[in-house]
Amino acid sequence: MAADQNSGLLQRLVLPPIKQAHWKDTLPDQLQRLRPGSLNLISHHWQMRCRDLSSLIKLLQGEGFRIASFHTQEPLTAISAQALGLPVQLLESDPMASDATPSDDSGDQSSDTKPDCTTQLRLHRGTLRAGEQIETAGDLLVLGDVNPGANVAAAGDVMIWGRLRGIAHAGRDGDRAAKVVALQLRPLQLRIADQVARGPDDRPQPGLAEEARIDANEIVIEPANPRLRARMSVPATD
Amino acid sequence: MASTSRTILICSGKGGVGKTTLTANLGIALARLGLRTVVLDADFGLRNLDLLLGLENRIVFTAQEVLAESCRLEQALVKHKQEPNLALLPAGNPRMLEWLKPEDMQTIAGMLEKQFDYVLIDCPAGIEDGFKNAVAAAKEAIVITTPEVSAVRDADRVIGLLNTHGVKPVQLVLNRVRPKMMASQEMLAVDDVTDILALPLLGLVLEDEQVIVSTNRGEPLTLNGSSSPAARAYGNVARRLQGDDVPLIDPSKEGRGLRAKVRRLMQKKIF
Ligand SMILES: Nc1ncnc2c1ncn2[C@@H]1O[C@H](COP(=O)(O)OP(=O)(O)OP(=O)(O)O)[C@@H](O)[C@H]1O
Ligand SMILES: [Mg+2]
Repeated sequence: MAADQNSGLLQRLVLPPIKQAHWKDTLPDQLQRLRPGSLNLISHHWQMRCRDLSSLIKLLQGEGFRIASFHTQEPLTAISAQALGLPVQLLESDPMASDATPSDDSGDQSSDTKPDCTTQLRLHRGTLRAGEQIETAGDLLVLGDVNPGANVAAAGDVMIWGRLRGIAHAGRDGDRAAKVVALQLRPLQLRIADQVARGPDDRPQPGLAEEARIDANEIVIEPANPRLRARMSVPATD
Repeated sequence: MASTSRTILICSGKGGVGKTTLTANLGIALARLGLRTVVLDADFGLRNLDLLLGLENRIVFTAQEVLAESCRLEQALVKHKQEPNLALLPAGNPRMLEWLKPEDMQTIAGMLEKQFDYVLIDCPAGIEDGFKNAVAAAKEAIVITTPEVSAVRDADRVIGLLNTHGVKPVQLVLNRVRPKMMASQEMLAVDDVTDILALPLLGLVLEDEQVIVSTNRGEPLTLNGSSSPAARAYGNVARRLQGDDVPLIDPSKEGRGLRAKVRRLMQKKIF
């Protein structure tokens, strides 16, 4: 159902709804119905880490496909895609649609779907320097570093495509399921809901994204593990 | 020539990290390259650029009189005795701080740009009014810091402000580098600093007693053709500003100890 061979327009590849099937299983079939070449990839609510994404890209390349643009509703996936140099469009996230089947209405979603950020996601491009701060009522996505002396806070998740070396507060209004994700998590101080932690002292491992979340009343920091994704993608809503 | 004039703010955030020393030495170094250079003291509260240049006793008028139009710019400019390509526009009375506005600094800079290739502005420490006035006149900036956490933090703050004021390009000079302390990791490494500040490194100045000696004499190091490490560094900053591709010194080569060198090499490979 993903193959859409509108002549003139770029063909689109729409990943299946999360609950129906895994994209890895459906992909070979889907690709069969497409002509090798450029395509727009719509991943909807799939949460993908760099590792998932690069395996997807490899699979596509193997069959002669190239991603012309990458559409997602997941900030985390957007971060990964950005990291791999894909042209990313973060789609407006429809909270109703997140559990529905995104492929149903995908027919009228053309590649020029407004890449508008949600009202819930605040996107900041560029490094935040000492003395600068951002606060937002939704999720926060920073494409850049958060330097020592800078301060970011969000009612939802704080996601940093860069190094966090300042202070970050996720779940500012008390959401204990909120998390902080960064390519390098070496904050001066980290807060999730009402929990406070100092950043770790050891040197970060290069190339690993890390995330902080509350586990048994403690803030834990660990490599953002792609295998944890499924679990993480069903956060408790308040 | 006036159209290619470059107005560069020399600032730091934190006080005492070497702004005035850099302004004086860079001024001389640029002048020695044959470039018409003026240094403007924007530190009205604690002016001492005149002192460093040994020109204190030759000041008759200041920027204040120029702005009040009670003297011509030419009358206020103090030409350097040994280096005629260099002039100083002295800061006025500290009371100027009470009425000086960003527009006034722009007026002064505008006048200077008509006659000089380089206008170097010695910025006061901090990010208050004095800084705001000075930044208004600047097109580009050199941020100077020492490899200390607090200085780097303040520098970062200032860079953020420079960005919001649209000052571009902003380049970095790292001052008072002590290779031995860096090698033993008692001091932030060059990479640590550039990592955070994310600016192109325009110069690396070693800790050098000669700086202090020359300061007290009122003769910038770059004036007497000294070959001390700091003098060379200031000269290199001038040449890099002019677009010459002068390699940076490597502090690890200046330091001692094989272990430190090996460690440094390995760190380079990883990043
Ligand atoms: N590379 C260096 N080696 C040794 N001493 C230095 C070096 N650079 C600067 N200094 C010394 O540091 C002191 C402060 O320098 P300077 O006055 O240039 O700083 P500043 O940033 O202009 O200070 P302020 O914020 O008060 O205006 C001076 O005594 C100077 O001699
Ligand atoms: Mg000074």
